[in-house]
Formats: sequence, C-alpha cells, structure tokens
Amino acid sequence: MSDSFTFLGMDLIPTVWMLVKILAVFAGVMSLAAVLTWAERKGAALIQDRIGPNRAKIIGNIRLFGIFHLMGDGLKLIFKEDLVPRHVTQSLFWIAPLLAFVPAMMGFAIIPFGQSFEWSGYTLHMSVIDPGNGMGMLYPMAIASLAVYGILTASWASNNKWSMLSGMRGTANMISYEISFSLAVIAVFLQVGAYDPHEIIAAQSGIWNVVRQPLGFLLFFICAFAETNRLPFDFAEGESEIVAGFLTEFSGMKLGLLWLSEYVHMVTVSALMVTLYFGGWQVPFVADPGPLLSFIAFAAKLLFFCWLFIWVRWTLPRFRYDQLMSIGWKVLLPVGFANLLFYAWLIHQGIA
Amino acid sequence: MFLAFALVTLGGAFALLIQRNAVQAGLCMMLSFFGMAGLFLLLANPVAAALQIIVYSGAITVLVLFVVMLLQSHREEPAEHPRYIQKAISAILVIVLALGAVKLVYSSETLANMQAVSPVPDPITLQKLGEQLFSEHLVALEAMGLLLLAAMVAAVILIKKEA
Repeated sequence: MSDSFTFLGMDLIPTVWMLVKILAVFAGVMSLAAVLTWAERKGAALIQDRIGPNRAKIIGNIRLFGIFHLMGDGLKLIFKEDLVPRHVTQSLFWIAPLLAFVPAMMGFAIIPFGQSFEWSGYTLHMSVIDPGNGMGMLYPMAIASLAVYGILTASWASNNKWSMLSGMRGTANMISYEISFSLAVIAVFLQVGAYDPHEIIAAQSGIWNVVRQPLGFLLFFICAFAETNRLPFDFAEGESEIVAGFLTEFSGMKLGLLWLSEYVHMVTVSALMVTLYFGGWQVPFVADPGPLLSFIAFAAKLLFFCWLFIWVRWTLPRFRYDQLMSIGWKVLLPVGFANLLFYAWLIHQGIA
Repeated sequence: MFLAFALVTLGGAFALLIQRNAVQAGLCMMLSFFGMAGLFLLLANPVAAALQIIVYSGAITVLVLFVVMLLQSHREEPAEHPRYIQKAISAILVIVLALGAVKLVYSSETLANMQAVSPVPDPITLQKLGEQLFSEHLVALEAMGLLLLAAMVAAVILIKKEA
C-alpha cells in the first residue's frame, strides 16, 4: 500500500474509484437509455420499411441518421409545459416518476461490467457494489420487485379510468411473472453454487450458462419482457387499447422520466441476462481478457440484448390479457419449477 | 445509520396509521419495510434485507395495493360509531406487547455477550441460511410448507365454488 494516496487518514484510491464508478455507471446507463430511445424509433422504421427520424440537424447539415433527435426530444420534454390535471392526487402524482426511475437506476449497481484488476496494490472491481457483500444477485431482484410501484402510483395518482386499468394490468403482469423470473435465477444459483455476480461470471469461464441451462434462459428471457413491460407484454401502456395507460396524464419531464425508466430497465435486465447466462465480461477463448477487453465484451453483449428487446417489440403483437395470465401461471410457472427440480436432481446425482 | 433507518421505519409506520388514503398508506407501509431492510443490513444480514424487500415491499404490499385498486376504495369508510372499548383494548395490548418486547431484548443472552463478540460479524450468506434452515429448523420449515400448501388448496376451493 502506498502512503501518497491518503487524505485525512482516509485511503483515497478506493474512494475515488468508487466515485468514478458511480459517475461512469450513472452516465453510461443514462446515455445508453437515451440512445435506446433513438434506436427504438430507428429500429422500428427499419423493421417497418420506413426511413424513421432523420430531420434533426446540427452544425450546418450533419444529420447522422437522426441521432440528434434524442437531444431534441430531451430539450422538448424539459421545456414543455408541465400540466398537472386538477383531478389527480397531487403528492403521488409528483413522486410517481421518481418511484419508477430510482429503482430502475439502482438495479445496475451490482452488475460487474469488466474484469477486476490490480493497480498499485489495490484490487479494483468494475462494479459499483464490490463482491462479497452477501447480497449478490438478490439485490437486483429486490430492486426489480420495487419497479412495479412506479406504474402503480402513477396510475393511481392519475385518477383516470384508463390509467387505473393500465395500473391493474401492469401490476398483475409484473407480479405473475416475477415468480418464474426468480425460479429461473435460482436454478443458476444452484448450478453455480454461489449468488455473487462475480462468482457467477467466474463459473462461466468455460461454458456459458446459456448452454448449460437453455430452458432456464428461455424462461428468464420471456419473464424479462414482462418485467420491463415491453411488448409482447406491454399491458401497462397498451396504447391501442387504453390510450397510453399510466402515462396518459403525465407531461413534460415527468413523462420523460417515466419513459426513460422503461429504457433503463431494459438496460438493467439486459445486463442481468448477460451476467447470468452469457458469461458477463468473459471473452470466448480468452482466459484473462483484462479490464479493457472485458469491458468491450460486456458492452457488446449488453448492446445486443438491448437491440433484441427493440427487435422483439416491433416483431410480435401484444398478448391478450387472458393469454398473459394463462402463459404466466399455467406454462412458465410449472416449467420454472420443473427446471429447478431437474437441476437440483442433476446436482444430487453429481452430474452437473 | 441505525437512527436514520429506525426513523424511516417508525415514520413510515406512523404515517401508515394516520393516513386516510388507502394507496398512500400502502406506500407508507413500503417505506416502513424499507427501513426494516436497512436495519437488517446493519445487523450484518444482507440476505434478510433482500428478502424483506422482495417479499414484503415487492410482493405483499403490492398485492394489498392491487386489491385496493381493484375495489376502487379511495378512502377508508368512516366508522359507524366510535368504538371506545376496542380503542382501549388495542392501546393496552400495544403497551403490553412493547414492554414485553423490550424486556425480552434486555434479558436475551446475545445482548449480554455483545461486548465479547467482534463488532462486525461475518455477513449471513444464502448458503449459511440454507444450512440453518435445513438442519436446525427443518421441522418448522416443513410445517410452514404444509401450512402454505393447505392455504393454497383452500384458496383454490373457495374460487371453485363460485364458478
């Protein structure tokens, strides 16, 4: 340990590194979510054989496939008049966007986005929460279970028939799929014998978990769509059925935050998928990729899954409500239990 | 830290009691559970903290709020007439229970041994929790499972009759 990095008896390196990590993750996830809103519009256009957003210009005539639209969107949302209808529950109406946004941002904290490395006697971890905290992957699951409050409060505060319907549908959707979601994750815990994300990633240095547990991954993948309220499970918004659901009464940056939290959720769930099933920052055939390469590998996998969310959204139609319920409770739940028991049996037999 | 979490817990619980709006009361309950999770963290038990949030904040409170929304009951119904006896009994019960809890905590052996134990114990992990559950508390675990199964079957039967 070097003495030159102390300040008032405090070790500066871990503190500074923690600040850097927090800033980097916050800025990274926020800007990725912003870029995703553009990618969503452009991707939709691509899939539907349109051109999509391409009008916004900057410095003369630079258009860059309409990427400046996202700045325009942001500016518009911030400067737009923030209407608060008379019939809403004021206090809840104001905190609802925060209740949606804060849990969405918190979830990413546990995800290791690169290989830990040594630097002047310190082991620096590339995740905001260091390993060995005892909470491990339970943390993102706990945070994900709070996400439902955003929709619930927003819809209740709006005091509007469509919003209320949307809140009920969205809540039922998220509760129903959370169980199968957890069951899929527990099967991974069993297989790895640990629940810290760093250990889960280390256990995937040979074969990724997706090869070992293809059914578990499929379960997780389906439930991830339900948890993020994305099509084919976007029962909360369902714009062709219930206006815009819980978003109907919101405007300005409140709407912006609610929207953004959906994309942040996408990023977090994609990161979970990468960590649990696709080896996290592991690079195939490279034993020790180092911080930079491992970060690039993680980012590439993350971007792929984010794109997959958009791809699926513009490919599949929405389920009917009864289909949602029967899939969740009659298909995914038994499959989840069977999956878990099967791996428990395999481990008991000493095969896996 | 302890004070902060304790204040969040108590404040949430108190707001839950005085709040008339059912959904706001539910959110206060969530806040209170959140404070509890923080207290668990301070007790070096992150697993209990996570489970507290997953089960209580994430599932039970949400279900309660869901039912409130389903019934569309914006406000608590006012009582038909003041119930003094119930109020007195509940106040007495609260006092007795609180005193009992304080007495239990003060007479527990762990508190007496507090100085001897290292100030920061190893955090509880899922592995430790599992071992404990399936060795020392196996009977309780099985009984709990049976109870929940019975409750589930009963719920299914109740629904069936109406259909």
